[in-house]
Amino acid sequence: MTAIWKRELRAYFLSPLGYIFMGFFLLLSGFFFAVYNLLPANPNYTAVLANITTVFLFLIPILTMRLLSEEAAEKTDQLLLTSPLRVVDIVLGKYLAAVTVFLLTLLITCLYPVILTFFGSIAVWEIIGSYIGIFLLGSAFIAVGLFVSSLTENQLIAAVVTFSALLLMWVIDWITRGVPTDRVSGIVFAGVIVVALAFLVYYSTRHLYLSIAVVPVGAAVMAAVHAVKPTLYEGLIVRFLKWFSLLQRYEEFHMGILSLSPVVYYLTFSLAFLFLTARVIEKKRWS
Amino acid sequence: MIQVENVTKLYGGHVAVDGLSFSVEKGEILGFLGPNGAGKTTTMNIITGYLSATEGTVKVAGYDVLEEPLEVKKRIGYMPETPPLYGQMTVREYLDFVSDIKQVGRAEKKRGMEKIMDLVKIGDVQNRLIKNLSKGYRQRVGLAQALVGNPPVLVLDEPTIGLDPKQIIEIRTLIKELGKEHTIILSSHILPEVSAVCERVLIINKGKIVASDTPENLSRRLTGKSRVLVRIAGTEEEVRQVLAGVPGVKSVEAQGSVEPETFDFLVEAENEEDIRRPLFSAVSRAQLPVLLLKPVDLTLEEIFLQIITEEKEVS
Repeated sequence: MTAIWKRELRAYFLSPLGYIFMGFFLLLSGFFFAVYNLLPANPNYTAVLANITTVFLFLIPILTMRLLSEEAAEKTDQLLLTSPLRVVDIVLGKYLAAVTVFLLTLLITCLYPVILTFFGSIAVWEIIGSYIGIFLLGSAFIAVGLFVSSLTENQLIAAVVTFSALLLMWVIDWITRGVPTDRVSGIVFAGVIVVALAFLVYYSTRHLYLSIAVVPVGAAVMAAVHAVKPTLYEGLIVRFLKWFSLLQRYEEFHMGILSLSPVVYYLTFSLAFLFLTARVIEKKRWS
Repeated sequence: MIQVENVTKLYGGHVAVDGLSFSVEKGEILGFLGPNGAGKTTTMNIITGYLSATEGTVKVAGYDVLEEPLEVKKRIGYMPETPPLYGQMTVREYLDFVSDIKQVGRAEKKRGMEKIMDLVKIGDVQNRLIKNLSKGYRQRVGLAQALVGNPPVLVLDEPTIGLDPKQIIEIRTLIKELGKEHTIILSSHILPEVSAVCERVLIINKGKIVASDTPENLSRRLTGKSRVLVRIAGTEEEVRQVLAGVPGVKSVEAQGSVEPETFDFLVEAENEEDIRRPLFSAVSRAQLPVLLLKPVDLTLEEIFLQIITEEKEVS
């Protein structure tokens, strides 16, 4: 794993990608810092950090697009997959390399609040909380980007799809305002999920009867839930969508509250995507 | 050392490898011979664990590729058809990285790298970026990569493709040298190459083994004296009559005229006989100057045709 991490980290700075990421990140955060803090002489640095998160949308895809797609395109994945490395090592090494570049960039921006301390007092804990939140949020986005880059050999496609996925997660809170919350829609939505599950089972096992069996079992579970607690179907779509709302969890950090649940949420989210990435790589052998 | 049993690989509905079984003894050099798309690369990818077989098992040094992939991968050095190189790295950095992922100890690493660079003669480019290297050097760096960690088994997919004749001979000599300490599987679509290097040859076509023999037996069976190309000065009809009159000649086929006032003929003998001597004396008796007399090797396509028809006759 360390060998992959080391090579990947070097690769960032042997190609222009690492510099583009760091340069643009620092340029934009510096711009926000100047506009929000320096020029109006405002000590509210957390507002700057909240704005920095929007920069992720554009820059995280740049950081992650080549991670696995380039290996597949250049056929260097043959070297990695035929050497005594576990797939998990490859995925983790690459993920941590991207996270390291991201963390280094973030550490440079720590200069901004230090500059502010020369002119007055700052909300130290809120800023530290925000930084932890930003780091976890960015790492979760990197996991998404890594996953997308495992799906294609084309870096450009990887970047565009990652951007779209991140954008979707970004606006998911707005979407939740528009979706219906009544019971019927919840039941329909659960039905759709059961059918999707059946397709997923068929796709991964190619077992027709097993996949069809998923539908009545799912329907039975749905009926049982309806009999026991029908209110569960109310607002189901909203609750489902909110699982993917990464920004909502960031709010707490922003206020300087460091509680366990958002931390666990981000870590689980990242791990889930790393796991999926490893599965995609494993699956390629069987195609 | 390597046991391949009943391996089948399907790509969607297409059968790439069809129930392949063979084994390779320790220290043996085995050649895969077959036209493009015969399933050579797929088989190698399955042995090295890059792909998984749809059916069948592969064992290397007693370890199953599916069940204990790491034990198998530790023992194999693989040079794929396209060498897996990182263009942004120098040769030295690259070999350093490969040593790391193959878990070569810190103490051995430097010594091993020097030895390998000497062996494949890439010491003079060790500080150059891989993307700036010529095809020949890239191929050699690809081979160097397979040698890192001194694995007992080497799998080389078309190791001489894209090299110039001098380099081809160098690489062949090197592979023969390596064969003294390693078990080697090597693929090629050129018959002389396999004959020059391998102790045993598997001919693969459409995912199946169509022949398995030593190169000597294969050559005896498939090439040599039975067909001769001659270029003789004279008129076409005269030459044809003389050639057809030679005892032991089965057929005479006109090949047109390459040099002025000469004619080329392909003469085929009956019963694999050497007809060069009777042919020469007959032509000289007729006072026709022989400008060219050359046994014709079968091309790979003809070998396949021959082997496949032989098989049909047997069964």
